[in-house]
Amino acid sequence: MDGAPESLIPVLSFLEGPLSTALTTFNKIPGSAVILRYVKSSHQNDPGRTILELLLLIFAIRTLLQSRTRADRNGSHYIQFSEKEVDELVEEWTPEPLAAPLTPAEQSDLAAVPIIAGPNGPRPKLVSTGKTATNLASFNFSGLSSNEHIKQRAVEILRKYGLGSCGPPGFYGTLDVHMDLENDIADFLGTEAAILYSQGFSTVSSVIPAFSKRGDIIVADRAVNFAIQKGIEISRSTVRWYDHNDLGSLEEVLISIEKDRKRRRGPLTRRFIITEGIFSKDGAMVDLPKLIELKLKYKYRLILDETYSFGSVGRTGRGLTELYNVPASKVDMILGSCAVGLNSCGGFCAGSQIVVDHQRINGPSFVFSASMPALLAVSASEGINIIRNTPSIFECLQTNVHAARAILDKLDCILIPSHPVSPVIHIYVRTTDPVPPSSAKFNLTFASPKDTLRLNEFDVEERLLQEVVEDCLAQGVILTRAKRLKGQEMVEPKPSIRLALSSALTKKETEKAVSVLRNSLVKTFGRRR
Amino acid sequence: MPLASPLPSPMALNRPQQSPSIFKKRSASGLGSGSPLPSSAASYLSALSQADARARSVSPTSTPALSLSSSVTSSSEDTILHEEEEDALMNSNADGLLLPTRPPNSAQVFSTVHTEFGHCANDKYRTTSQHKLGTPLPTHVEQDPPYYILLSTYVSYLILICLGHVRDFVGKRLSPSSYQHLMPQHGYAPLNSDFDSFYTRRLKTRMDECFSQPVTGVAGRTIMLLDRTSPDYNHTQLFTGTRTRALNISSYNYLGFAQARGGCADAVEESIKRYGISSLGARLEGGGTDLHNMGEALVANFTGMEDALICSMGFATNSTIIPALVSKGCLVISDELNHASIRFGTRISGASVRMFKHNNMKSLESLLKEVISQGQPKTHRPWKKILVVVEGLYSMEGTLVNLPGVLELKKKYKFYLFVDEAHSIGAIGPRGRGVADYFGVNPRSIDILMGTFTKSFGAAGGYIAGSKTIIDHLRVNGHSGAYAESMTPSVLTQVVASMASIMGVAPPDVPSKEIVHPGPVASASLPQWINLPLNLASGEEGTSRLRRLAFNCRYLHSGLIKLGFITYGHPASPIVPLLLFNPGKMNMFHKMMKQRQTPIVVVVVAYPATPLVTSRVRFCVSAAHTKEDIDTVLRACDEIGDVLDLKHGSVRGKDRWNVEQVIARAAELGSNDD
Ligand SMILES: Cc1ncc(COP(=O)(O)O)c(C=O)c1O
Repeated sequence: MDGAPESLIPVLSFLEGPLSTALTTFNKIPGSAVILRYVKSSHQNDPGRTILELLLLIFAIRTLLQSRTRADRNGSHYIQFSEKEVDELVEEWTPEPLAAPLTPAEQSDLAAVPIIAGPNGPRPKLVSTGKTATNLASFNFSGLSSNEHIKQRAVEILRKYGLGSCGPPGFYGTLDVHMDLENDIADFLGTEAAILYSQGFSTVSSVIPAFSKRGDIIVADRAVNFAIQKGIEISRSTVRWYDHNDLGSLEEVLISIEKDRKRRRGPLTRRFIITEGIFSKDGAMVDLPKLIELKLKYKYRLILDETYSFGSVGRTGRGLTELYNVPASKVDMILGSCAVGLNSCGGFCAGSQIVVDHQRINGPSFVFSASMPALLAVSASEGINIIRNTPSIFECLQTNVHAARAILDKLDCILIPSHPVSPVIHIYVRTTDPVPPSSAKFNLTFASPKDTLRLNEFDVEERLLQEVVEDCLAQGVILTRAKRLKGQEMVEPKPSIRLALSSALTKKETEKAVSVLRNSLVKTFGRRR
Repeated sequence: MPLASPLPSPMALNRPQQSPSIFKKRSASGLGSGSPLPSSAASYLSALSQADARARSVSPTSTPALSLSSSVTSSSEDTILHEEEEDALMNSNADGLLLPTRPPNSAQVFSTVHTEFGHCANDKYRTTSQHKLGTPLPTHVEQDPPYYILLSTYVSYLILICLGHVRDFVGKRLSPSSYQHLMPQHGYAPLNSDFDSFYTRRLKTRMDECFSQPVTGVAGRTIMLLDRTSPDYNHTQLFTGTRTRALNISSYNYLGFAQARGGCADAVEESIKRYGISSLGARLEGGGTDLHNMGEALVANFTGMEDALICSMGFATNSTIIPALVSKGCLVISDELNHASIRFGTRISGASVRMFKHNNMKSLESLLKEVISQGQPKTHRPWKKILVVVEGLYSMEGTLVNLPGVLELKKKYKFYLFVDEAHSIGAIGPRGRGVADYFGVNPRSIDILMGTFTKSFGAAGGYIAGSKTIIDHLRVNGHSGAYAESMTPSVLTQVVASMASIMGVAPPDVPSKEIVHPGPVASASLPQWINLPLNLASGEEGTSRLRRLAFNCRYLHSGLIKLGFITYGHPASPIVPLLLFNPGKMNMFHKMMKQRQTPIVVVVVAYPATPLVTSRVRFCVSAAHTKEDIDTVLRACDEIGDVLDLKHGSVRGKDRWNVEQVIARAAELGSNDD
């Protein structure tokens, strides 16, 4: 204490009393001498070490005390029960059944799902009839499913890599063929990089939470697909919805958010616009140039789900960026499906290197799931190779789309919300009754899950459409209603028949199949009127 | 055994003129039939295929449904090594990866490629994976290391954290451009803030060479690494263009079905030819084929449940099915160490979630008492239903769920039980049917069995098995049925073929009604075009794989303990974590294993996948490993363990063995009767 300045002496003498009692009690603890000597000598050697060790001790105690399984016994709502009362309550409690049996409607729906015998393709054989039928239900836009070259490559790869990768990408599951496919996708779309997920459906619900966290803002179309809805939900971000495919409504929302932020002087948070290229719910297409203009103006990042537009529109199937001639780098994240677009499996997210690298550590279904089988990755690579060099595939597909639309657009009993070039075509029943004025703003093709009146109407339409589907199946055309999880979607879309056209069918075949559908529609809905 | 020594098989010396040789390229260039005696490695291989073919040609054909011809033709192919490896093979087998150290005698038949699935004929090295009734389940004890290890671990992290902050502080001022993407820019918030990414940038980057190592070829017994280096402290990784073959004790290839040759791969090839690549859509929207239905029936049969459904991704099986089981007003009780996919699924289900201490029945019971008596938060209404979600085998700890304990509680507390058997299906139990099989309980006492095909079956995707009512409900209400792509035919075929190989195929004259769980599969339930070779169809190979795996698990586990290491997990678990504690040792351990004469690749895991202090290396044992491979791993661990000061286990003094003792007494260590 010799070194202490004069002025500190009174303070030190004041502290001496309690300090010495503390010291004597401390000395009584067995082993304290050792600790004291240790602290003293270590302090002598290196005073900085004392601080370091102190910090360390605090840190260690904190981690020890952090337990993830603590019960919230001290919550204000906790009721104290005696042991006996608890036992009685346990005795009394009867849970609901884990799953309710299917309703008759669900049962017949499930039974009516067409099952393919053997390979699926443009003209598969059905298990139920044993006959072949024209397939307007399965996703085979570019007709790669029956490509012999791809099959041959797949067998070669099988003989080199086996099937499964037996590990997540982080732990020896990254194969050279995965990296090749990622490069192929990035190169094909014109982005810096891309990352592969092992299932298309799980891609977007993993990408969203990788970037958007609590407090971040998501602005999304009201009718985005189920996977996006789930991704938004799990991200716990603040979400604002705009009217389906209405960029005016989007701008209103963006303006109101900006106003809000200015008023509250909140911090700058990450902001995302999430929408689809071709909507899975109705085949409508977003106006990409306008959307990009808005996103740049209001400084949002754009997550564009191109599940149904990648490998289906554009001169060589690159999707919306090609169709609208927008550089892919203008879209922050392009998501697509190798399963739908390339007839293989898995999905991808293409974007800048930073966007991709971030997902390699933070995308839950990338990090915690095994990588996709090598032969499927190579099949997708081969698929890209073929479509980028064969623009005729997409010309043929467009011819078929035109042919189909030419037949269907003439019918008054139906309504087609899909974009004229979209190979995914949804068919709604045209309802003649006037739209109730209260929902004038709300798109007439969607119902809120609480609107039981509309939902009942939807049920009726659904049954009629199912009749059409089954009627066509009997005439050798495979169709499907758009299947949705009732009661789980944010908005209930109007029931529809969903066609997926393919370049593997000729124009004649497409016309013939669509005519069968037309006749059946006329028969069903004509009778109704 | 040195390769230059005379081979025991006389056939090696008379290399046949017309052998179905794999060295096609070489024969063409004049090294073939007319050339002098082939080098020992070549003769070795031909001896192998000869012995193989001969043994097969005399084996009896019992069941007409099983084509023998396919096995004969494939036998000669089976021993093919890839061309690029011929040279290596000619030169040496110094790392012991390409050829078995002990060549086979003429009575031994191996139909696999040694690099994919090791040749191991010794029947001493086999065990059954089965719980001894009446014995208590070993509890999960977290052995603590000496204090200095704990202390130095904390200090290490502290230094890392301090250094990281200092570097960030200085870096942001000296080189702002490299921090640009972490800062707000042109009115955009950064995608990733410097705070959120601190761990990744400052801790994980230091050991990036341990992660995401690109590989090529089959993830079998060995794996081919694409070598890489980093010129700038792991910020970028460059490929050197060379490759290294390493012993693979990291892939989830428990039963060794990751193979490019053999009956399963043959079946997959056939399926590609017949079915093509994709099934083109969701199950409910025109993407379902007869093969899916067959696969689902087979899975139900395999697991012993009434019905099953298949999903094209394991992660998505949990994340899209759990929300169809529970919703608002329900409670999910989840083990604290459950997999991310389970947490994902429960979070989007809208149900409340509570966690209990890892595999701790006391904690589970007291939680159950609390939640049932308290009811829902605030309202105190009773819960609609309670779903307890556990894993069969935990992927980071190697612990087996205390299934008897959970089922005991289930009787009293009436919750529903969901067991994720991602790692345990195929790998655990005398017949590979998972934890229920291991503990000898009726699988139907569990409500929902979930599992994945990525692990034991060498495929991809997952399944859910349960009662018909539940599965039908999930077919319609689960997210994947309506929206997700269905499983591709090739993957399905791998699942069907590997599963049938584990079960064995019953002769066609046995009516399927007479086959009871866990018996063989009726041949009528398999696609007619799948012709499994006799050894697979008889179930002999499957049983031998299960027994080899069980031995390897116990041997490695007990061996490491005897050497003095701290390990976690159940001795029957194919996942064997070895505790390292200090973060710096992870890098070192990984590197030292890879740089040995026989390179070994390992998985090291640290925070946040594990608690902060218990960094570990995780071995995944496979049936494809031979006893000698496990010896190699034990030798490596022993040496490295001394260098890195890792031997802090509770086994001390005379109980501790040296590595030669361990290897000599392998049969004893690997048996199930300790
Ligand atoms: C317990 C558990 N569930 C699910 C999964 C996901 O399986 P997959 O890799 O097939 O997506 C894993 C994989 O690591 C797992 O460990």
